[in-house]
Amino acid sequence: MMDRVVGIDLGTTNSLVAVLDDDGPRVLPDPETGARLLPSAVAFLPGDEVRVGQTARALAGERPFDTILSVKRFMGLGLEHASDEDRRRYRFAEGSQGALRFVVAGREVTAPEVSAYVLRELKRWAEGSLGGPVSKAVITVPAYFNDSQRQATKDAGRLAGLEVLRLVNEPTAASLAYGLNERAEGTIAVYDLGGGTFDISLLKLRGGVFEVLATNGDTRLGGDDLDARLMDLLLAELPEALRAHPQIRAQVLAMAERAKRTLTDAPRTEVELTTPDGRRVQRVIARDEFEALVKELVERTGRPCRQALKDAGLQPTDIEEVVAVGGSTRVPLVRRYMEELFGRPPLVRIDPDEVVALGAGIQAGILTGGRRDMLLLDVIPLSLGIETMGGVFTRIIDRNVTIPVSHTEHFTTAVDNQTSVDVHVLQGERELAADNRSLARFSIPIEPLPAGVPRLECTFLIDANGILCVTATDLRSSRERTVEVKPSYGLTDEEIERMLEESFDHAEDDIQQRQLREARVDADTILHATRTSLARHAGRLEPGEGDRIHAAVAALAAAREGEDHIRIRELYDQLSTLTEPFAQRIMDSALQEALVSRPLEEL
Amino acid sequence: MRTETREHECWHCSRRTGLALVCLHCEAPQPLPPAADLFAVLGLPRRLVVDPADLERRYHDASRAVHPDRHQSTDQRGRALSLSASAAVNRAYRTLREPLGRGRYWLELHGSPLGERNNRVPPAVAALVFETQEQLEALRDSRGAAAERRTIGTVRDELEERLRGLTAELEARYATWDAANPGAAEVLGELKQRLSEIAYLSTLLDDVEQALAGPEHA
Repeated sequence: MMDRVVGIDLGTTNSLVAVLDDDGPRVLPDPETGARLLPSAVAFLPGDEVRVGQTARALAGERPFDTILSVKRFMGLGLEHASDEDRRRYRFAEGSQGALRFVVAGREVTAPEVSAYVLRELKRWAEGSLGGPVSKAVITVPAYFNDSQRQATKDAGRLAGLEVLRLVNEPTAASLAYGLNERAEGTIAVYDLGGGTFDISLLKLRGGVFEVLATNGDTRLGGDDLDARLMDLLLAELPEALRAHPQIRAQVLAMAERAKRTLTDAPRTEVELTTPDGRRVQRVIARDEFEALVKELVERTGRPCRQALKDAGLQPTDIEEVVAVGGSTRVPLVRRYMEELFGRPPLVRIDPDEVVALGAGIQAGILTGGRRDMLLLDVIPLSLGIETMGGVFTRIIDRNVTIPVSHTEHFTTAVDNQTSVDVHVLQGERELAADNRSLARFSIPIEPLPAGVPRLECTFLIDANGILCVTATDLRSSRERTVEVKPSYGLTDEEIERMLEESFDHAEDDIQQRQLREARVDADTILHATRTSLARHAGRLEPGEGDRIHAAVAALAAAREGEDHIRIRELYDQLSTLTEPFAQRIMDSALQEALVSRPLEEL
Repeated sequence: MRTETREHECWHCSRRTGLALVCLHCEAPQPLPPAADLFAVLGLPRRLVVDPADLERRYHDASRAVHPDRHQSTDQRGRALSLSASAAVNRAYRTLREPLGRGRYWLELHGSPLGERNNRVPPAVAALVFETQEQLEALRDSRGAAAERRTIGTVRDELEERLRGLTAELEARYATWDAANPGAAEVLGELKQRLSEIAYLSTLLDDVEQALAGPEHA
């Protein structure tokens, strides 16, 4: 059977994989657990062990630096783009040029490598569900992603062993799912507030053609930011000395996220924090208070929406439907704000967490000829240009132009016997090159001749993925010239090749074997930790607790020697649940010793 | 005559095909003839008046034929041709759909481009230009005072109105010119003059909008 092409939503918080069947697109779940959403979390453990998804997310509290939770925020960026909060949250390799590198469990990884772990897991899900190999995919990206961020996503796919047939903009993918489902026609707005990014896209749907009129957004605004505001609110309830503690921050962040979800349906929620000295701090959060806290963030989506309308030459009243995409559009305040912007309540008939993946699945079907009636015409989100004399940014392709698009530019030399022409390509809307995002430097070799004599024709082509490709021709010889690309924040082809070779060295020949090995490693970790704790902190055991733990330890130790990884997992979970109160007592006391105690403000 | 025939032969299936963007037989994208202008790309006659609905229909049909999404599984040459043909189709639609873009392109096509920067104020709009510049200066001097902002707001509305009027007038002229000889030297001269007036006022409108977007003074 032919290789199926899957559609992947590689999200900030969660990722999904979908495929197009004869009766429409469907999400492919984890064949073992039935889960449809894979948390985009990757945890690095000592000894080259890596955890992905739910198990990784659960490790964030324990191993905050080694667990990357929102890698998408770092795709295609350099170290200089990391914020202070990012630096508190993760460790980065200092002084490195180009793509940013995380330091995890004693090694360095780039964002595309981290994302590749998520993609590999989704590939495994898809292969399990479809019962055959999957090697080709359509992957979605925020519409407002620049060239570097797109390239980084494509690199991640390659590292995961997937040929990326197309990158599709998330709001556009969502419009495909809606268009197919609702047979919609007319002008629509897709408002996509995800975990870490915001996009607005305005589209015209007509006769199966989905034409994007304008797009705008903010690649650093999403549900994560709402969580961070709530986290700060809760941290303020704790003694100051505890607030910077990475593990406590990670735990409070998880509570904040839960509280946000609860407030979607409930007018108020109560959060209970246990301080290391055993005191419980209760904090009631009313929805009003939450809304006041995040109002400014939500309203930050207004400017991109107005700009997109202006670029498309539309008034809010021209918009016939507003589609809500992304988990954060569940927040009632966000829905009200959408209604305020466009004068009509948003459509939420498709699960906002799944709609992008379903659209990606449809696009995969379009590419393989399964849906010849539908066609996407997307745009480039940010203007593209080159640096010219005096550091000026000279725009050569305007934002919101339909892709593919090409532009031809002519160059010559400024000094005698110059042997190459260097072109610095940037993306953005500012007047000065330095204020825009550097994409790459291209070096084009030329024959040494007197200044002004060489004639070089350079073509800048943006393909249907929104990715730039530069070709050059020496007009005097009509010979095509090779263009050497130095990506500013990306990986070179050689780096990707090297990473691929390394991953082949670690390649897993058999999923069963790998799962068994992983289960054994986890079992060994918990067995070792439990035995050590029992020996050192026997005094903290409650009556009867020691016997129960010893029995569970013995059972897991026996299963660990067998071949049944599912059994090992079950016993692992049992032991883990059983030892939780004991571990909490130990941790509390350890922290307490490390702290200058300070009375807590009572509520 | 031989070269003529070869141009009409599909590179992919070697069968004779018309001047269409894709082969009539195997649907492979064809290289655009070097002389093809943007009207030809969408199969339109060279005329200044374009029916927007017809243009959009042609654009969608051409996109369905050449877009890279339709040629994903073909060979490398097919994919490369699909990419360049698709870029040409997009450019044609983008250029021809607005009367101003079409006018500018018309001048280029006839070897008499509008030119990037024209510092001479066209006489027909001189009064409006000078008045607006004075008011912009007043706004700057007052550092964004409310009264001056209101004045500039009115100026913006006037400019927008004037631009709409000028564009409508131009479109009316397109029909007249098409009926006579749209490539005639006097037509090109008048087109250039009208387009430079519009270009001048558009730049001015941008300045006004930028000034209005600036900081407000209490």
